[in-house]
Amino acid sequence: MRYEVTLDDRLVRVELADHGRFTIDDRAVAADIRETVRGRQWSITVDGESHEITVVTHDPLRLDVDGHDVRATVVDERALRANRGAAGTRSGRVELRAPMPGLLKAVHVKEGDRVAADAPLATLEAMKMENELLAPSAGRIVKVGAAAGAKVEAGAVLIVIASD
Amino acid sequence: MEVPVAKGTEPLRDAVAARQAAKEIGYPVLLKPAGGGGGKGMRVVARDEGFDAAWRGATGEATAAFGQPALYLERQIMNARHVEMQILADGHGTVVWLGERDCSIQRRHQKLIEESPGPSVTEELRAKLGAAAVRIAKRAGYVNAGTVEFLVEAYGQFNFLEVNTRLQVEHPVTEMVTGIDLVALQLRIAGGEPLPFTQDQIERRGAAIECRITAEDPFAGFVPASGRVALVREPAGPGIRVDSALFSGMTVPSEYDSLLAKVIAFGGNREEAVGRMRRALEEMRVAGIPTSLPFHRAALFEQDFVTGRYDTDFVARWDPKKGPDLPDGTVTAGALAAVLAMRSRGERRAVPVADPAWGRAGREDALR
Repeated sequence: MRYEVTLDDRLVRVELADHGRFTIDDRAVAADIRETVRGRQWSITVDGESHEITVVTHDPLRLDVDGHDVRATVVDERALRANRGAAGTRSGRVELRAPMPGLLKAVHVKEGDRVAADAPLATLEAMKMENELLAPSAGRIVKVGAAAGAKVEAGAVLIVIASD
Repeated sequence: MEVPVAKGTEPLRDAVAARQAAKEIGYPVLLKPAGGGGGKGMRVVARDEGFDAAWRGATGEATAAFGQPALYLERQIMNARHVEMQILADGHGTVVWLGERDCSIQRRHQKLIEESPGPSVTEELRAKLGAAAVRIAKRAGYVNAGTVEFLVEAYGQFNFLEVNTRLQVEHPVTEMVTGIDLVALQLRIAGGEPLPFTQDQIERRGAAIECRITAEDPFAGFVPASGRVALVREPAGPGIRVDSALFSGMTVPSEYDSLLAKVIAFGGNREEAVGRMRRALEEMRVAGIPTSLPFHRAALFEQDFVTGRYDTDFVARWDPKKGPDLPDGTVTAGALAAVLAMRSRGERRAVPVADPAWGRAGREDALR
């Protein structure tokens, strides 16, 4: 199985063969892997150097690599094939979800509005604070899923953006 | 009382009167809840046009947090540093100051990093702040540990902000540089005992820094996060103190403050304290929820922090997209782990990974 992985701005092609063999950017790598905490932490030795990788969060994928914070994405070959031919990078639906349960104090946009990345879209009151929720990407608002005054659960889709 | 204060108003309830007062003070102005503290509910209004919306929001937040809508206005001081003076006052009329903390690194007017001594504070300014803090406490007849907060402008002009009549989150920084147990002294003062030392006997040595690790996502504007903590490893070692509520399996609720742990580093000088803090943060692990740890790790390498020339705009200027430069081996290991993490989550299927003896030997070699 082949994957395209991004770590911050770096693109890395990973191929996973049988019996624990890997290629990284088409180079065979002798890596020794041990899962130290199931689904959460790995000890990986590459070229005689030991590395510790912890999955901080799965969605979005954030890794702690030897005490450095890395934002990662993984796309497997099926998704790569599906995207082949599509010009440029991913475009499509991007959802703004409530990061935690709380009271929606205000929604600053309506359907049809155009927004820039990081523009404030809504205000959520939680942890005794009013928190501005920012646009995950630039685009056009196609759906507003909750109104001001609503109590929302964590993960509730608040706003959908058709991203540029 | 000869303590300078920023231009401002009494607590107000009427939006029209408040807007008029804001014009007289001059924009930008700061709205502060009269019943509150800790930076909650404070707002900066840049222009007259934005005043009414900001007033509505701030009164709503003040009512929710403190049960009363009254706000007062203050001139917003730009490029200022938040410097506070720790005091101890006993019931026998003795008030001493223990030294300052620079708490300028804040988001939403709440502190993320504090340090003592303040990198911008001269011996002369320290003495002035100490004397002003003692004057305020004596005049008020204050008895307890307390903190007198100031905003320090460029060239050492300072304005009194407020008094925190309690032990503060950042008190360990002062404990580390003075060797004084503030909590024990609070209890002794409450029991009627006199302070066991005079101003001249208080010695400050070295430097201390505190990082507040919070359940907030620094890559998304520090929005709070709740959920289950999957894994915790706290740092230790020379000069490191950790005051923490973290454990694996705990659920961080959304109803309370987002503070999870405080990492405090002490060093013989600021450089040593910075080095120890960097090492401690690199050693720390929290997984399961996003935390402010990535911000703190990056902040300790920011040029403005390293040189000590930062102000209250530090967090706003920080660029979360500027990732660390990773060595090739780290990138390889990270990419493999990213794939394994996705597979272990998605398919719940064991990845065929052998664990041969040579692999174990290699790992052990690498540890030597």
